Amino acid sequence: MTEQNEFVKECLQNERAFCTAECPFNLDVRDFVGKIQQGRFNVAYRTYQNAVGFSGIVSALCPEPCKQVCPMKDAGGSISMKLLEIAAMSYARNTAPDQYNMPPKGNRIAIIGGGISGLACALRLTTKKYDVTIYEKSYLLGGHLFDLLNPEIFLDDIKQQFINENYTLLLNTEISSLDDLSYDAIYIATGKGGNDFGLSHNEEGAFATTKSGVFIGGSIAGVDTMTAIAHGLNVSGAIERFLKVGKMNHPEEATGTKLLYEGIRITKADAVEPSNGKTFTKEESVDEANRCLKCACDACVHHSPLMNYFKKFPKRIADEVEVTIRPSTLDGNGTVCTRLISTCNHCGLCKEVCPKDIDTGEFLRESMQAMHKKGAMPWAFHEFYMRDMEFSNNEAALVKLPKGHKKSSYMFFPGCQLGASDPRYVTESYKFLTQHFPDTALMLNCCGAPADWAGDVENHAKVIGKIKDDWINLGKPIAIFACPMCKQMLQRFLPEIEGQFLYNIIDEKGINLKKNTKKEIASVFDPCASRYESALQSSIRNLATKAGFNLEPLPMEGKMAECCSYGGHVAIAYPPYVSHNVQKRIEQNNNPYITYCSNCRDIFTAAKKPTWHILDIIFDLDNENRVLPTISERRDRRLKLKQQLLNEFWKESSIMEKPAIEVLISQELKEKLNSKYILESDIYTIVGNCEQSGNKLFNPNSETFTGYMQIGKMTYWVEYRARQERGFELVNAYCHRMKIEEGE
Amino acid sequence: MMEEKKLICHKCQKELELKKTNFSYLGHIFFTEVPRCPECGLVFISEDLVKGRISEVEMQMEDK
Repeated sequence: MTEQNEFVKECLQNERAFCTAECPFNLDVRDFVGKIQQGRFNVAYRTYQNAVGFSGIVSALCPEPCKQVCPMKDAGGSISMKLLEIAAMSYARNTAPDQYNMPPKGNRIAIIGGGISGLACALRLTTKKYDVTIYEKSYLLGGHLFDLLNPEIFLDDIKQQFINENYTLLLNTEISSLDDLSYDAIYIATGKGGNDFGLSHNEEGAFATTKSGVFIGGSIAGVDTMTAIAHGLNVSGAIERFLKVGKMNHPEEATGTKLLYEGIRITKADAVEPSNGKTFTKEESVDEANRCLKCACDACVHHSPLMNYFKKFPKRIADEVEVTIRPSTLDGNGTVCTRLISTCNHCGLCKEVCPKDIDTGEFLRESMQAMHKKGAMPWAFHEFYMRDMEFSNNEAALVKLPKGHKKSSYMFFPGCQLGASDPRYVTESYKFLTQHFPDTALMLNCCGAPADWAGDVENHAKVIGKIKDDWINLGKPIAIFACPMCKQMLQRFLPEIEGQFLYNIIDEKGINLKKNTKKEIASVFDPCASRYESALQSSIRNLATKAGFNLEPLPMEGKMAECCSYGGHVAIAYPPYVSHNVQKRIEQNNNPYITYCSNCRDIFTAAKKPTWHILDIIFDLDNENRVLPTISERRDRRLKLKQQLLNEFWKESSIMEKPAIEVLISQELKEKLNSKYILESDIYTIVGNCEQSGNKLFNPNSETFTGYMQIGKMTYWVEYRARQERGFELVNAYCHRMKIEEGE
Repeated sequence: MMEEKKLICHKCQKELELKKTNFSYLGHIFFTEVPRCPECGLVFISEDLVKGRISEVEMQMEDK
């Protein structure tokens, strides 16, 4: 196993179901039941018969150890495997054994003991056309089955299963010494207390004795009837191996399972009772089979939005990531799953639901870093967000001690998107905090999540380093977070910074909340980064309840919180995935949501789901019907916020710089620019550049100019015309990722 | 119907002509014929080309 997929070694994906692990025959119950569920009794019968050898005998005698471990035991009753097996036998179109037209094998095998274990061995070997001789000391076949079952049943089954096969049967023949026998291999199945010919078990392999070519198994080994049959079936494999390679080292059958009950989603359903009191009808069989959970560990694929969307388990993801990071293609540039790696929301739900705590999200984060380091991850997936982070940490950043203070006990860390969504979220919160803690500094910038999600370790380290320096300069204050993601990020990379939540403080200190007199019903949507912040989750519910809301829980909340789809900045890398998930999040119920992450709030509002940010309720911001800001407005709002904060809290006046060039952009085009992630500020830059350099084309048909410019790695095109009065008017804009190189 | 007039390079005052042009993305180089100024080489790429073939190739390169 390579380093890359080391993390999945504990994965339980391929573990056997509890019932299969208990079954002496290792019957693949998921497969068998699946066939019954589809009403395919014939193929279900074949699955069963192939596993047990003598279906009539086994279905009559099996004590159903599977029932003891079935998770349905306390949820309506264990699945009645015996009745399903009988149904498979009864309703199969054809129960006659298959006839195999194979040439006889040259090897001769002796089986000592004509009991059911010896017969099971004979059945497997004769089907493969080995020359088999059975020695039975009594006058008939069947051994201890005579003590357990009506001879008619088992003799019929034995006759039926051997209908196409031949063997030599020597009754009334007791073997006292193996020296009298001249065979290529021997199976000793002399039954409970039978003759072991002085041989003991050889640890080298399954059923092996200390004598080469001689195997032992069945009731003589002290096992029950079902296991004795299974021994007979399985020893044939050990004998064949010996005949082919001369070794006695056939591996022991794998037993048990690592599957855990906590990985199984149990749905209660009452056991189906046979209407005739004895056996199932076809319909009853299907109903009973449908109760079966077909136990398998799939918690991750069920819950994780990414694994559910791609229908891929961690092992498959690990394999695909491995060939993406270390491709074996000749040009070394295979990128099998760059998009999958870029699609992780880093919400942490996969680890939370995994009974083995496998953290696929963390694996994908590291994979992203590896791809970024190689320069193999498409830059376009994250460039917009990296530029946005750059903006938040420069033009829009504000790190300041409160007026009149030389150091601070607290610092408010609102995060970059809160003010971009609505500057009042930040100003009102800061006002509240400084009223209660006058020495609260402000650190308005980005927590570095965009760089972390882009796998850009170098840039991320710079952001974290700057935050740390600023924090030290502010006097190492306690951080007060408004955004759960910022707290998660800082706690991870700067654990020395103690952190609290704004909402816990508001809840504790109290605030005059405007009562929702309509007693509106709402549901709290916990942001994914709040997963392990139970105190925060209760504060939000407290505040909403105090404000007069009747709260109804969501199916996925608390520790099971799901990402709104903002996490990981997936929107550019894989837009259909984002739409799919947003839809699923908002359809959890029909109530309006209350959340406490501005990204959740804005994403749901964009999808027409009535959603409040808790700060809308706390500060009565009347944001119910607001129009969402575009990406350009989100930048403007951050600049205005900075200006406003400086004015209000530090009495410093600042003037916002106006663009050097005036370009009129229609509402329709503003929407287009927003959807294409084109900033209006970039439009000004490009038009200015075209005008200044003269590098522009004139279209005589539309009387417009067209020009382009590469900003970052993206190439942007603008079509515009001069306005009569002054400035310009944008006619169209678009962009592409491909770079224009020199022509011939 | 009036004949579509060709784009003119503002600097050189020349009509654009179809010329072979190289493009690159994620380490791969492609070329195609697009209108260029015969004098200074200024390129024109239409939105239709961006929406069509260019974004198609971009996607292919990202998922290759």
